[in-house]
Amino acid sequence: MRLLKIAAMTLALSIAATGPSWAQQKKTYNIGAAVYGLKGEFMQLWATALKEHPAVKDGTVKITIFDGNYDALTQNNQFDTMVTQKYDGILFVPIDIEAGAAGVEKAAAAKIPVVGSNTRVNSDKLTSYVGSNDVIAGEMQAESVIKAIGGKGNVVILEGPIGQSAQIERRKGNQNVLAKYKDVKVLEMKTANWSRAEALSLMENWLTAHSGKINGIIGQNDEMALGAIEAVKAKGIDPKSIPTAGIDGVTDAVRAVQAGTMVSVLQDASAQAQGGLDVLLRSITGPSYKPRSDIWTKYSAQGLSWGDGTAKQFNIPWTPITKANADAMLATRK
Amino acid sequence: MNQNNRRIRNLLADYGIVIAFFFLCIGLSVANDNFLTWGNWVNILRQTSINGILAIGMTYVILTKGIDLSVGSVLALGGLVTGSLVTGAAPHSAFISMLAGLAVGIALGAVNGALVARLSVAPFVVTLGMLSVARGLTFIYNDGMPIANLSKDFRFIGQGMLGEVPVPVIILAITFFVFWFILKYTTFGRYVYAVGGNERSAKTSGISTRWVIFTVYVISGLLSALAGLILAARTTSALPQAGVAYELDAIAAVVIGGTSLSGGVGTLSGTLVGALIIGVINNGLDLLGVSSYYQQVIKGTIIVAAVLLDVSRKKQV
Repeated sequence: MRLLKIAAMTLALSIAATGPSWAQQKKTYNIGAAVYGLKGEFMQLWATALKEHPAVKDGTVKITIFDGNYDALTQNNQFDTMVTQKYDGILFVPIDIEAGAAGVEKAAAAKIPVVGSNTRVNSDKLTSYVGSNDVIAGEMQAESVIKAIGGKGNVVILEGPIGQSAQIERRKGNQNVLAKYKDVKVLEMKTANWSRAEALSLMENWLTAHSGKINGIIGQNDEMALGAIEAVKAKGIDPKSIPTAGIDGVTDAVRAVQAGTMVSVLQDASAQAQGGLDVLLRSITGPSYKPRSDIWTKYSAQGLSWGDGTAKQFNIPWTPITKANADAMLATRK
Repeated sequence: MNQNNRRIRNLLADYGIVIAFFFLCIGLSVANDNFLTWGNWVNILRQTSINGILAIGMTYVILTKGIDLSVGSVLALGGLVTGSLVTGAAPHSAFISMLAGLAVGIALGAVNGALVARLSVAPFVVTLGMLSVARGLTFIYNDGMPIANLSKDFRFIGQGMLGEVPVPVIILAITFFVFWFILKYTTFGRYVYAVGGNERSAKTSGISTRWVIFTVYVISGLLSALAGLILAARTTSALPQAGVAYELDAIAAVVIGGTSLSGGVGTLSGTLVGALIIGVINNGLDLLGVSSYYQQVIKGTIIVAAVLLDVSRKKQV
């Protein structure tokens, strides 16, 4: 027993001793990616894409992903860890727009650059932000539902968890468009917490409360729109007769677009993650850095430009999902 | 006069929850024309089926003075395992896949049961651990991704209808009758009450209390997985984040239904009414367009009121 312990300790020590010498052979950048939580498909896609970045694949960058478990305090503690362990840079996807600022300040004080991705944080210490504008997505989806019902009728809105930045901004986008159409009435507007199961029950109840009166469904994310479609089907109604829109482009939603039962816009997790890493590496290594992800060329026609990589904000455009591009999207998801 | 008062009080104590349920329904049917329609009751029953099934297992556990916090996580893993088998290049039959999902529930329940019964670790701690372990395994199992394209045969258990009745409701009804019968008419059922009432005297009267306690956790695991299969079939995909915090509604249904958290007292029919009350509140407040914030306040108030009823009943005895 004791022998075993000694053997294990020697092994551990030898690994610890050889560690630094490996690192000296080639400069590896330790990057921490603090994400709000890994339970949804979207953040999974984001994390996978990050690991696919050329700089990670060739070993220039070592990524450690910190799962914030949907808790602001957990994320804050993880910033402490990254600062103490002297990470070279941090990619940050905050759970809370305000609470995240404390962590960013701590890192900034230790001269560690922080690049935001996907969700916003209210801090002027942030090096840059690479994300998509949720107000625009909210406008796009409301516009497509209202156009599909001919500019007049009744819609219902399934909202995200009240207070999250995506919910606030997507609602703003919804309302910007609704304000233009006087003949469109919002029958109901309630949260289903991004959840398919919750949206399913809620929609079932709405279909009873407003039997035959609901003309269109606006789901602030795909999961909820998909739940609503199941409720419509269960009621014996053809889902194509009630235009439904989601946001994000999760796999099931892309399939539903193919089937013609909903519309959605793709929030490009891969561009947000890889673009964020490029911007971060530029900030660490200096002006000689050239972006290595292919997203910069992919979106250049839609106005995304690298410039010298030091802009405070990079907007990744939304891509409407159509039957034409759905196959290609599914192919990238395995 | 005095006697009359007492009779009313006894009646209230025994049937208070049923009476409350009726008043709730009357109130909602006055407030909204759609409430009493058949279509709406199909919704309520279908929405109640998942929590109802979880609450049946939970009743067994709570009757033995235990608690099972892991039901939501076991639900997710059961659904995901079944989902992975009914899809893919060489999908298995829905039947085989469901058996595998249920077996996962039984296995996780058995771990809970063994730790509680054999090693006497507090049920709260054991199942809190399992809540985390099973959720983690769910994410590991498919890299955190949902499983879609579930076969049509399998989706039948969530979306199908037999005549006018949704299949999940039929599954709930069968589950209820089987476990109601076991609890009421078998020796094992009597042992469950005996263990929860007074474990020591149950042991001295020759009951294998360990076996009874082990079995109730296996039942809860099995029913959690069953609920997971229905949920996956209803939402047409097995989601790794399904069922988060479902243990709270299941415990609430049991408590509203009059089962005592200190064990030994309670009925499955009470639990069913408890689950229906939660279902009716959620449905009714959706119909009335009440914000979900109030929904939570009202649900919480009813839970505490139910326990107060329970306490006052005990004082009388």
